[in-house]
Amino acid sequence: MSTLISLIVSGCATGAIYALVAIGFTLLWQTSQTINFAQGEFVMLPAFFMLAGMNMGMPFWLAILVGTAISVAILGAAFKRALVDPMLRHGALPLAIATMALSIMMKEGVKEFYGAEAQPFPSLIPAIDLHFLGATISTQSLGLLAVGVAAVLALQYLLNSTSVGRQMQATAQNPNVARILGIPVERMVMYSFIINAILVSVASVLVTPLYLAKFSSGETLGLAAFIAAIVGGFNQVRGAILGGILLGITDNLAATYISTQYRSAVPLALLIAVILFRPQGLLGTAEERTV
Amino acid sequence: MAIEHTGDIALELSDVVAGYGQMTILNGTSFKVPEGSITTVIGPNGAGKSTVFKTIYGMLRARTGKVVFHGKDVTNWTPRRLLEAGICYIPQGRNIFPQLSVRHNIELGAVAAGRGISDIGQRIEKGLDRFPALRRKANQQASTLSGGEQKQLEIVRGLLLDPRLVLIDEPSIGLSPLMVQETFAILTELRNQGVAILMIEQNARSALAMSDYGIVLELGQTRIFDRAEAILADPRVAALFLGGAITPAGG
Repeated sequence: MSTLISLIVSGCATGAIYALVAIGFTLLWQTSQTINFAQGEFVMLPAFFMLAGMNMGMPFWLAILVGTAISVAILGAAFKRALVDPMLRHGALPLAIATMALSIMMKEGVKEFYGAEAQPFPSLIPAIDLHFLGATISTQSLGLLAVGVAAVLALQYLLNSTSVGRQMQATAQNPNVARILGIPVERMVMYSFIINAILVSVASVLVTPLYLAKFSSGETLGLAAFIAAIVGGFNQVRGAILGGILLGITDNLAATYISTQYRSAVPLALLIAVILFRPQGLLGTAEERTV
Repeated sequence: MAIEHTGDIALELSDVVAGYGQMTILNGTSFKVPEGSITTVIGPNGAGKSTVFKTIYGMLRARTGKVVFHGKDVTNWTPRRLLEAGICYIPQGRNIFPQLSVRHNIELGAVAAGRGISDIGQRIEKGLDRFPALRRKANQQASTLSGGEQKQLEIVRGLLLDPRLVLIDEPSIGLSPLMVQETFAILTELRNQGVAILMIEQNARSALAMSDYGIVLELGQTRIFDRAEAILADPRVAALFLGGAITPAGG
């Protein structure tokens, strides 16, 4: 029982990071039909911006702020303007392929500038083991969960309780009518790219102390978040949250109770089951599209 | 055919040419919409009816020609500027945000005003008072509304900024006869308040019966522009509805 509690708490913590990255997938898809296959690398890169800041003598907190600001400029605004806008004119598929190319370019670029060695990254939360009902729970897991939940709540507040958030939702649900009502659709789409850049930066700060900063560290995370978004429902933010948490817990339980060797197969099995029996995802809604 | 209007003109199109890509749909469309009137645009499929609306509303670029609204050249203005100027556009079909609540759907009709108006809450309440079904479902997702209720939502939302010209495309499509009557009654009431209405309607006879003026479009040109009762009585229009072509004005 105590092991189960530990696994569920740490699974939720990992799941919170998956959820943050998966939310980014769903936001970009809903507002601009962008499937960003470089999303994992988008989580890897901010940590390197922050490391660069610290190497220049900045304190950790300042490096986080500067790294996030640079990420917003590059992974948010520049990504949209330089890659998404020109490629989307040719369709969603060419854009998806372009993001795969971007992912390779980002990995190779980091390898070129920083080398292939994994680099340590300071943790926002000190690692102390707490004991609860016989289970050992790390403060890092709790911290990850707390920051993840806070980020999700902040996003939910923005989307549901502010005028800008509702304009973003309107843009995602019916861009043509949004335009007719005078909603600045282009600006709303840009906001979703900026929010995605902030989410991946938060995920980067949370995850890099655990997996270290390395050019390839986004690969697994990107795939996990993509699966989480599909499992939860690609067109629902709350689906991405559910998918992320579910995947985090399943991953942990599978590693302990099934086999560590088959650990990475379990999310894929979950993905196949969802695609077969509920292709719109657990909380997603079926969409009609003209092809 | 053309008639002279003695009253103020809300909207005037002069020789508007527009289309999609290489295809030209409007070939020099010209007509006037008098203030405080209902003007119905009819014509066969492909005549350019919806394209006229999109061009007036800045969704499609006019290549040449002019769109003048209350004396001001508004050609190729953005929808947001046109909304601010007093034009609202209610397109064909269902135009809601299905996952937002009814109230939030209506509220989005005021985005173009920015912080320019302070009584949005009161305006929304007034709109909801008018349609009890919307009032009952104000906090439900808009996707739970029936087709007629969705059209009512679009009308309430469109009227939120007190437009002086309403462009409404096929308001009766998919609605029950009772709902059509109700929608037409709202448009008549607006007209009586001085709002100009430009409407496209497939149910041409009913629409012309409640209209002041009618426009017959064919191949992107105004073939007939006359009082609605005169158009209803025109044998050439009957021929058009039966699928025959009409002779160009003066031809």
